Amino acid sequence: RCPSSMDMNPVKQSFQEIKDAVQVNDTFKNVTILSNLHSVKVLSPLDTCCMTRKLLEFYVKRVFKYREELSLHISRGVSSISNSFLTLQRTVQPCKEKSLCPCSEAATNATRTINNNYDQLEVGSAAIKSLGELGVFIAWIDKNYHQETSTA
Amino acid sequence: GGADVLPAPQNLSIHSTNMKHVLTWTPVIVPGERIHYSVEYQGEYESLYLSHVWIPSHWCSPTEGPMCDVTDDITTTVWYNLRVRATLGLQTSDWSILEHGFNRNSTILTPPKIEVTKDGFYLVIELEDLGPQFEFHVTYWKSEPDAQAHIKVVKSGNIPVHLETMEPGVKYCAKAQTFVKAIERCSAFSQAECIEVQGDALPL
Amino acid sequence: MKNVLQWNPPEGLTGFAVSYTVQYFIYGQKKWLEASECRKINRTYCDLSAETSDYEQQYYGKVKAIWKTNCSKWTETRRFYPYLETQIGPPAVALSTDEKSLSIVLTAPEKWKRSSEEGFVSMQEIYPTLKYTVSVYNAKSNRTWLQYETNHSLVLSWLQPDTLYCVHVESLVPGPPRQGQPSEKQCVSTLKDRTLELKIK
Repeated sequence: RCPSSMDMNPVKQSFQEIKDAVQVNDTFKNVTILSNLHSVKVLSPLDTCCMTRKLLEFYVKRVFKYREELSLHISRGVSSISNSFLTLQRTVQPCKEKSLCPCSEAATNATRTINNNYDQLEVGSAAIKSLGELGVFIAWIDKNYHQETSTA
Repeated sequence: GGADVLPAPQNLSIHSTNMKHVLTWTPVIVPGERIHYSVEYQGEYESLYLSHVWIPSHWCSPTEGPMCDVTDDITTTVWYNLRVRATLGLQTSDWSILEHGFNRNSTILTPPKIEVTKDGFYLVIELEDLGPQFEFHVTYWKSEPDAQAHIKVVKSGNIPVHLETMEPGVKYCAKAQTFVKAIERCSAFSQAECIEVQGDALPL
Repeated sequence: MKNVLQWNPPEGLTGFAVSYTVQYFIYGQKKWLEASECRKINRTYCDLSAETSDYEQQYYGKVKAIWKTNCSKWTETRRFYPYLETQIGPPAVALSTDEKSLSIVLTAPEKWKRSSEEGFVSMQEIYPTLKYTVSVYNAKSNRTWLQYETNHSLVLSWLQPDTLYCVHVESLVPGPPRQGQPSEKQCVSTLKDRTLELKIK
């Protein structure tokens, strides 16, 4: 499996601190961006890598660039999370270089859907909604990487 | 006088030990005036994608002293830019930027303080609490030739942790190093401490 | 995964016959849904475990007060995500001892279920990295020490005979802090050392 693990704890910590403040700004309850992530039955461990890489890229290239109208508290949290995502991207990058991160059609379609969902909304609303749905991405990573922390 | 340009702080430098990061600079002196400072930071993400974005430091926007604990600002293991400016009333100086930036993986890690004790036949260790970022790798062994060393990961300090059940009349030793997963680095080992439980006398 | 919505009664109406109605919303769906068990109830809580049993979804809840013909506005919760936010209950703890050892057997907490007919689902299945912090207190030396455990049983040997040991255990899932619920403290005494009695005779 490449990457063998993904340390999401810094992201979980920062998201925990801004989650409520972000989600209260998301007024469109009936629309989601990432929620199909659970229904995507990732076919093989190789798919996991591709999905991870594309989702990290989605957040880095689209969501985290939006900083307008964010409170200072949320801005600090988003800065921390976005910089953590850079570190996570560097965890996944070697897998791509070793061709261990191919994208199946299912994985490509799933991430295309997410980007299409994002495009349906005005950029500020889409960014706020995607920030509020980071928990879905965290849970997906948790389940697909079962972080085994070794404790004697 | 006031109309002159307020000089920018000089000699910015950062000192980091055990994941506590403190930014210092030479104070700006204006006779008879009290100068305040503002500290801001940007991570690698901001400098790559949003270079215009700087974020006010958690504790030092504004601050009086010529130093700032930026530990709560530096929350990930990437390069950070830090800048400081002086303010006097409505007047602000230029920004001074920390040369070369800062990455917390350069923090100095000191060996932890340890206390090795026994509870009946149990070898117990208590470690210094250095905060949530710190785990401890404890190595312990029987003080005998060719004795095998064992390693145990201890998740947090200041709570006694059971290591081993001791045989009477044998000396056991333990030492520890800190491990910071966020930067994937360890400290040096502490001094070893040894302890022995008496022969076959009844345990206290 | 037992999810209960709680609220405080409106101020100024204590002693009045106020009732409440609850609705819930599945994030991403289209409309609010009735909590069938919580229509015009007098209590100030509503068990929404059945409605929120898909722990991979996210939910909102809301409640309004009704008094005679008057209705209050709805009060809404923040978004709730069971998978990341549910508290993990303590494991079941079974202790047994002999003269110098204490055996501790842990059974992972059970996921909430609608009825006893429903099959047993362990929280370990949902959180494979579930671990335990075992706290052991020696009443004679008045000392406590910890043991981190991933397995379901551990034996503490070479204990002191005829000594009271108290144990409580907390479940732990790596990630953001969740409120812990330690198990009830259980105490058991190691047996008297019979070899000592023989010597004395």
